[in-house]
Amino acid sequence: MRRFRVIHWFSFAIICLIAAACAPSEEVANDEGDSSGRGSVTVWSWRTEDVAGYEKIFETFTEETGIEVEFKAHVNTEYDTILETALKGGKGPDVMQLRAYGTLQQLVDGDYLVPLDGAIDRLEEFSDQALAGATGLKDGRVYGVPFAIQTLQVFYNKAIFSENDIEVPETYEDFTAAAEKLKGAGVTPIAAGGGDTWTLPILHSVVGAEVYGGDSFVDGILAGDQDFNSPEFVESVGAVEDLMPYLPEDPASVAYTDTQVMFTQEQAAMFIGGSWEAGYFSSTNPDLDFGTFAMPPRSGEEALVPWFTDGSYGVNSQSPNTDEAQQLVEWMASEEYGQLFVDELKQISPVPGVEFEDPILQEMVAAYEEANTPYLLLVYFRYGDPTGTDLIGADIQKMMLGDLGPQEVAASLEKGVSQWYEPGKLEEVTETQP
Amino acid sequence: MRTRDRASSASSDLRGGAQHGESGPSRPPPGGLTLKQRTTIRRAITYALFIAPAFLLFTMFIVYPMLSAMKFSFFNWNGLLQGDFVGIANFQTLFTRYPYNEQVWTALGHNAYFFVLTMVVQNGIGLALAVALDRGIRGRAFFRNAVFLPHLLPTVVVGFLWYLMLNPQFGVINQGLEATGLGWVARPWLGDPSTAFTTIAFVNAWSWIGFPMVIFLANLASIPDEYDEAAKVDGANSWQRFRYISLPLLVPSLTIVTVLTFIGNFNAFDLVYSMAGSEASPGGSTDVLGLLFYRIAFDSADPNAVGVGNALAVLMFFLVFGVSNVWLRMFKRKEIAY
Repeated sequence: MRRFRVIHWFSFAIICLIAAACAPSEEVANDEGDSSGRGSVTVWSWRTEDVAGYEKIFETFTEETGIEVEFKAHVNTEYDTILETALKGGKGPDVMQLRAYGTLQQLVDGDYLVPLDGAIDRLEEFSDQALAGATGLKDGRVYGVPFAIQTLQVFYNKAIFSENDIEVPETYEDFTAAAEKLKGAGVTPIAAGGGDTWTLPILHSVVGAEVYGGDSFVDGILAGDQDFNSPEFVESVGAVEDLMPYLPEDPASVAYTDTQVMFTQEQAAMFIGGSWEAGYFSSTNPDLDFGTFAMPPRSGEEALVPWFTDGSYGVNSQSPNTDEAQQLVEWMASEEYGQLFVDELKQISPVPGVEFEDPILQEMVAAYEEANTPYLLLVYFRYGDPTGTDLIGADIQKMMLGDLGPQEVAASLEKGVSQWYEPGKLEEVTETQP
Repeated sequence: MRTRDRASSASSDLRGGAQHGESGPSRPPPGGLTLKQRTTIRRAITYALFIAPAFLLFTMFIVYPMLSAMKFSFFNWNGLLQGDFVGIANFQTLFTRYPYNEQVWTALGHNAYFFVLTMVVQNGIGLALAVALDRGIRGRAFFRNAVFLPHLLPTVVVGFLWYLMLNPQFGVINQGLEATGLGWVARPWLGDPSTAFTTIAFVNAWSWIGFPMVIFLANLASIPDEYDEAAKVDGANSWQRFRYISLPLLVPSLTIVTVLTFIGNFNAFDLVYSMAGSEASPGGSTDVLGLLFYRIAFDSADPNAVGVGNALAVLMFFLVFGVSNVWLRMFKRKEIAY
C-alpha cells in the first residue's frame, strides 16, 4: 500500500507539472481585435430582424464618406452577455447598440463608452426625453445617439370594429361599452395575457398611467413625496383588474405569442402593446387593417401615451477606430439617417425633423405628441434589483390568478424597489419635462 | 485479497530498502537513487502519462469551474468585472433581499415535493413494471422498449410536446377528456397554480420512467433464481416473494435510483423552464431552485448577478452533494451480500 501511495504522489506531481506547462500564458489571449484597418467600422446590434434594413441605410453612409460599415446582429436575449464579454476582453465593436436606462448604466460604470455630449452638437436638438435613456446616471453625460422611441397604446382591428358598429372610443365608458359589445358578439375584446410576465407592466402602463395621474405622480415618486402604496397607484393596478372580463379565458396562462396570433388572425379586436408591434402585425398578416388609439381616460382628462427610449448607438472607448466610429454615430444623429431609419425600419425615430409617411406611425406619433408620460417602471425603476417591471409583472400575474389584490401588488412593488431606490437620486438626470 | 497482501509486503520491502539506503553509506547509488527508487519513479511516470489526459480534462472542465464558482460567490461583481471580496454578503442577499428571500424557500419546497412525487410515481411504477417484466410477461422486449422510448426524447422536446397537448384551447388532453364525457375533469393544467407543478412532475415521470425500470430489471436479472424457487417451494406467495426476496436484494439499484433522482430533481431546470418559463408561471407556482438561479444570473438587473447567482449555485451544490453522500452511506449498510 505504501508504495502505491508514493507512486500516487509522484504521479500527481508530474501531472501538475504537465498542467502548468500546458496552461496558456496571459499574453497569448491578447489578439488583434475584431476590426482593424482604416476606413471601416463594425456595428453590433440586437435587432436580427433589421439586418437588411440597416445594411441598406449604411450604404448611404459608405457612399458619402468611403467608410465601410460591417453590421452584425446578435440574438436579442444573448446580446447583453456577448457585448459585455467582448468589452471586458478589450474587444467588441467600434459602434454598439446600447440598451436604455438601467442596463446602459452597467456599461457606463465599466468605462466602456465615449461620452458624446460636446462632441456631437446635434444631440442638443434631441428632446430631453429621448436623451434620458442614453444618459449616465451618476455623471449626467450622454453616451449614445438615441435610435428609437417606443410608445405604448391600444391597437384595434378596424374591420371588427366596423362589423360590430363600434367607433374608436373617446371615454372609458365608451371603451367598456365597446368591449361588452364585442364580448356579446363572441369576439375576444382584448388580446392580452399574463403568460409572459414582461408584458404585464406594459399593460399596466397603458391602462393605468392616466389613472395614477401621469407626470404629477411620476414627479411625486421621484421626489419621494409619493410611493407605490398611494391610493392612485393602487387604483391604477385595479384598472388592470377591471379589464379581466375582456381578456381571453384564463388570462394568466395566455402567452405573448398567443396574443399576437389572436390579434393578427383577427380572433381578437384589440391588442395592448408597444409601437414595435406595428411592423410585425403588417408583415405577419398583410391584409390586417388596424389602427391605434391611446387608452381612453377614466378621469375625463386627456388620454396619455406612455413612452420610453428604446436605446442608442454609442462608441467603444477601447476601439482603435474611434474617429470613424464617432463620424458614424454623428451621422446617425442627422436628419438624413433619421428619415432612412423611419422609412426602412418603420419605427419612431427621435431624430428631430423626420417625417412619418406610414399611416400607423403617423397615428402613434400624433397621439404621443398630444399628451405623453414616461413608462414609469421601465424608465426609472430598472436601476436596481429587483426591478420594478419584474416585480409588478410577477404580481399582476398572481392578481390574474386571484391570489393577490391591487393593494398587495402595489405593496410588493414598493417593498421590492425601496430596497435600492432612493428618492431624489434619479430625477436630476432624467427630467420628465423638456 | 491476495493482491493486497503482496502489495503490502512489497511496500514494507520498499520502506526497508529506503531506510537502508539512508542509513547505510556502504552502497552509494548512481545518481543518488537506489534501483528501487528509480523503478518507483519510472512507474510513477508511466502511471502519470496514463492518468494525465483524463485528469487534465477533469480538472479543466469540472474541478476548475466548480472552484471558480465558489470563489466568485465571495466577491462583489459589476457586470462581468470582479470587484472586492465581500465574504458571505452574496449569500446574505439571497436570504434577505425581497423577493429572493421568499422565493428561495418556495423553490426549495417545490424541489422537495418534486423529489417525493418522482420517487412515488416514477420509481414506484418503474419498479412495478420491472418486476412484472422480470416475471416473464409475453412481449417483454416490446414493453421494455416502449416504456423506455420517451426517455430518448430531448427534455425540451418533451416539454414542448406536453405544453401543446396540455394547451387549454386546442390541446388534445382536454379535448380527449371532453370527448369521453370527462369534461368536468378538464382544466388549464399548466395555467392553474394548484395543478401546474404536479402536471410538470408527471410529465417528468413519463419521460424518465424507463430509466429506473431498466436499472431495476438489470438488478433483478442478477438475482439467482434459486432464492425465488426456494421461497416458492416453501409456499411464499407472489407478494411475499417480492417483499422478502427481491426487494432486499434490490437495495443496490434502489440506492442508485434514489440518489440519481434526488440529484436530478434538486437540479431540475430544463423541463420546468420549457413548460413554465423562467418566471415559473403561473404566479411562481412552479418555481424551483434552478429557475431562481436562472432569473438571478441571467434575467436580473443586479450588476452583482454573478456573485449572487454563484452563491445560490454553491448552496445547491453542497445541498445535493451532502445529502447524496449521506444517503449513499446509509444505504450501503442495508446492502446484502449473496
